[in-house]
Amino acid sequence: MSRTSTASPAGGLELTTGAEPILAWRAWALTGTRDGDDLMLRPVARRSRPWKPRQPAEAACTLVRFHRAPHAGCTCGLHGTHAVEILRKTKCPAVLGRVALWGTVIEHEYGYRARFAYPQRTRLICQFCFWMAGPYAAAPEHVGWFPKDELMPICDEHLETASRYGLAPRHVLPAEAVDQRLRETYAVDALAV
Amino acid sequence: MDIGQPKRIIEITPAAIPVPGELVPDLAPDMTPEGEPEREPQPAGPESADRRSR
Repeated sequence: MSRTSTASPAGGLELTTGAEPILAWRAWALTGTRDGDDLMLRPVARRSRPWKPRQPAEAACTLVRFHRAPHAGCTCGLHGTHAVEILRKTKCPAVLGRVALWGTVIEHEYGYRARFAYPQRTRLICQFCFWMAGPYAAAPEHVGWFPKDELMPICDEHLETASRYGLAPRHVLPAEAVDQRLRETYAVDALAV
Repeated sequence: MDIGQPKRIIEITPAAIPVPGELVPDLAPDMTPEGEPEREPQPAGPESADRRSR
C-alpha cells in the first residue's frame, strides 16, 4: 500500500492515505430465527446496529452525535484488532473472523477503529472454548437458540454443562449448517485457523 | 475491549469496496464512473456544426 504522510489537525495524529482496505480480527454476536433463518452479525455491544448482509457497515457515534465516527477523541467506530488473542476478552462472542476496514481508519496500539467495514472470513466459535483455548479450539457442534433470537454456538461438552445447570437453549441447530448459511448470507469465505 | 492509544489516522479509499456486488466506491452525484463530471447535452446548432466542419 502506498501512503503519503502529512500533519493532521485531528488530535495531532499523523495522517496517511492508502488504497487497500485494512484486514483485522473481529468477533460478533449472532442472531437468527429458531430455524436458523435471517442470520445477522451484530456487535457484541447490544445497543449497536447490526451488520446487514452484502452492505458495508458504517460507523455512527452513539456517545456524541455531533461528530463523524471514528473520532480521534472518542471510542466510536467499527473495531478490529491486530491480534486474535485480544478478542478472548470479548463478551459473549459467537462468530470470529477477519474484517476489511476502510474510509477513515484510526490505528491504535492493538487495533483499529474504522468508518466502514465488511466481514471477509467467518467461523462459529463456542465462547467458552474460545475464552479457555483461544482461536485454535475445536469448532462447536451446535448452535443454541434463545429468546430474542439470540444464537449461541456451543460445543458438546458446554451444552451438556449448560443443560445440567438449567441453562439449556430452547432449541438446538446443527452448527455446520448454520456456519455455512452464515457464509452464504454474507458471501464470505470460511475462516481457517 | 481495550485497543490502546491512537497512533495515526489512515484515509483509505479502496479501488474496489470489499463487499460482494460493490465494485467501486460511492461516487459524488455529479460524477460518472470514469470520474468525469456529467455534461449537459449540447444542442446541435450552427455554431457546433461549424466547429465540426473545421
